[in-house]
Amino acid sequence: MSNLKIKKRFLLMSVLILTLCIYLVGCSSESVENSDSTSESSNMITFAWPRDIGTMNPHIYNPSQLFAQSMVYEPLVSYSDGGELKPHLAESWKISEDGKEFVFNLRQDVKFSDGTDFNADIVQKNFDAILKNADMHGWLGFISKIDQTEVIDEYTFKLTLKEPYYPTLQELAVVRPVRFLGEAGFPQDGDTSKGVEKPVGTGPWILDEYKVDEYAVFIRNENYWGELPSVEKIKVKIIPDSETRILAFEKGELDLIYGEGVISIDSFKQLEATGSYGTSVSEPVATRQLVMNTNKEQLSDARVRQALHYGFNKQAMVEGVTSGLEEKADFILPTNLPYTSNIEVNTVDYNVEKAKELLDEAGWTLPKGKSIREKDGKLLEIELMYNSAESIQKMMAETLQAEWTGLGVKLNIVGVELTTQVERFKANEFDMNFFSNYGAPYDPHTFVNIVATEGFGFREAISSYPNKEEILNQITKVQQTIDEDERQQLYTTILSSLQEQGAIVPISYIKKIAVYNKDVSKFTFPANRDEHPFTGIEVNE
Amino acid sequence: MVTYVLKRIITIIPIFLIATLVTFGMINLSPVDPAEAYFTATHIQPTDEMLEQKRHEFGLDQPLLIQYVNTLIKICQLDFGISYVTNKPVLEEISSRMPATIQLTVASLLIAIFVSVPLGFLAGIRKNSSIDHFSRILAFIGASIPSFWLGYLFIFFFSVKLDLFPVEGTGTWKHLILPSVTLAFPLIALYTRLLRASVLENLQESYVLFARTRGIHERIIMGKHVLRIAISPMITGLGMNLGNLLTGAIIVEVVFSWPGFGRYFIDAIFNRDVPVIQGYVVLAAGIFLISNLIVDLIQMYIDPRISRKGRHYQ
Repeated sequence: MSNLKIKKRFLLMSVLILTLCIYLVGCSSESVENSDSTSESSNMITFAWPRDIGTMNPHIYNPSQLFAQSMVYEPLVSYSDGGELKPHLAESWKISEDGKEFVFNLRQDVKFSDGTDFNADIVQKNFDAILKNADMHGWLGFISKIDQTEVIDEYTFKLTLKEPYYPTLQELAVVRPVRFLGEAGFPQDGDTSKGVEKPVGTGPWILDEYKVDEYAVFIRNENYWGELPSVEKIKVKIIPDSETRILAFEKGELDLIYGEGVISIDSFKQLEATGSYGTSVSEPVATRQLVMNTNKEQLSDARVRQALHYGFNKQAMVEGVTSGLEEKADFILPTNLPYTSNIEVNTVDYNVEKAKELLDEAGWTLPKGKSIREKDGKLLEIELMYNSAESIQKMMAETLQAEWTGLGVKLNIVGVELTTQVERFKANEFDMNFFSNYGAPYDPHTFVNIVATEGFGFREAISSYPNKEEILNQITKVQQTIDEDERQQLYTTILSSLQEQGAIVPISYIKKIAVYNKDVSKFTFPANRDEHPFTGIEVNE
Repeated sequence: MVTYVLKRIITIIPIFLIATLVTFGMINLSPVDPAEAYFTATHIQPTDEMLEQKRHEFGLDQPLLIQYVNTLIKICQLDFGISYVTNKPVLEEISSRMPATIQLTVASLLIAIFVSVPLGFLAGIRKNSSIDHFSRILAFIGASIPSFWLGYLFIFFFSVKLDLFPVEGTGTWKHLILPSVTLAFPLIALYTRLLRASVLENLQESYVLFARTRGIHERIIMGKHVLRIAISPMITGLGMNLGNLLTGAIIVEVVFSWPGFGRYFIDAIFNRDVPVIQGYVVLAAGIFLISNLIVDLIQMYIDPRISRKGRHYQ
């Protein structure tokens, strides 16, 4: 081999290695600048979230994250503990006697983060953008009922509905889509469904820095009209893996972990046991339910459904599977939601003998020498569908399988992907399924609404209820009545009836968790399930 | 040589066509209706007419062959469609995440090469020495530890306990070390063993004996002749792993919160974002083909007999 060839090769290899080194160093130094620019402030909270915050568009859904949207954008009305609706960007409102007209008096001291005024015109512009894509927001009852929106004067805005719909105010408190984007955020054609120019809101936080899939930094909006947050910055690190979140927290790279199912129950208990961190568990945010499809022959008899409810030790199951992080549920909706506190049903306690009696009564008897009950030669065999990615559902399914085997019921458990679970539920292709309600501020009206609406799964699932039509009529009525007492009475009847006939079995109350380091104080869970948890939070500098 | 390169490039075309056909077929065979997936992603409860209209818009009501040809034309124009979830062009989404994945891939390959070449070579020429035993143990460990667990172990020891590296994220070179070592670890195990076996095999070849009888210095025989030929299987492995790393570093990206291509793909699967899934699979096929081509070219450069095969001895 000639010297020239060796030299050429050497030169080529050197150039290659040099290029790679420059590339790697280049990547690093560029990012060093980034990390410097977010230099750690002592009055800052670093918080982990599993998914990127998304496009920060107040009027769209996935992939935007609710907590982030709620930091920047605000509603007219806000939802507080116990379902009380409080003035927010609207300082007061008046509802006409027929329940169709809502006149909002807007706050006059509110400015968007870019200094522009918040007034009735911008409210109108936001409503126009939302209504342009009304199909997308059809799940929110009042959107399809809007007849017209008008600006009365600079700070008065009027919303007229086609028919009375009492949950309108409650639905105005949800995080999306009815929150307000500043003029500078609108694209030229005003259609925000395709994107926004920049995230300009009236909220206490401003998005200052953002790197897709990596982090987002929110700084305090110094011109905020309400009480100024004590913390100056919130840094959101995107950490998709729950174990990594815990390791980062233990190392001190995070100040707060918060949410539902964001870390495993064991990890939460472990962190709590160290005594080095603050931990909190919220009030119930939703009920984990077991839905039985009464369209299926085996489950069409109320006695079979009741028997299955009597036939498992709910207390022990919830305690064992969730290590006490969830609470045994006696009602199909948590009782801290509006109109849900006085449901008239007999709670069901674990009673195997009674369960067996009920099954015998229903004609499902246990032939000698066999382990599965039969009726007219047919086996009592049921399929339970669960989300395979959710360990709690899986463990509960396994527990039920073991418990019901003792009754002579064969339970086949099938783990499916979430999307399949939803699809099969909607298409009525299931025997039993897990479900959980939406929580505040959506319930109870959204829950009863999906029970009544075709294509969501419930309406078909309760087909064998003898009073199904009556329940459906009551659901229509409860949304229209403007009489508070009548509304309460109707909710009590609907929820009691739905539960009593056993197609919807309450299992446990789902709760949120928070773990924070000792420097973080005054942490509270938001009353609205989707809101950010940073209101009032403090950090010792 | 030029003919060889041209030949190799031309053979890529039918393979790529087959890959697109398989992708197209698989997406059509899956029970997911793209029109339904679109509405689910955008939170719209569609009516039957809306579904029909969307299917028409996506061209799903046309004969399969026409659908395939249309897809192919779009792929050739690098148009992978618009993501249902983010409403942005798939290519833009993928290319914004590609640099992070490439950075991780390059770093882990460099680590793998810099560790396994000397280790494998020394283990080969000093069979049964302590370095050979060490390489064997390393290979056992590397081949049997799953990468996600190794990732957690690294984070626990080097980050949480020893505070040498950050737990997650990108930024400085320090962020790059743990994920790239995690990815490189099984490769080191593989390459070390491949190289060792190949070196041992080559030491038995007559050209080594011949060189020794000619009195050529042992270092030159080993460095210039044995290593050069023995490295060939390792480079083949490298080519296969390059594709794997560029498209499949999913677990390590998730464990270390690395904002790459793999993480994005996982989200797309859960969201049933059909254009992204299709774009990813087609692109992955392209990456594999190109990385294999690159490896072939490197091998040809190292061992010119490859391009001359069949001609040399005529």
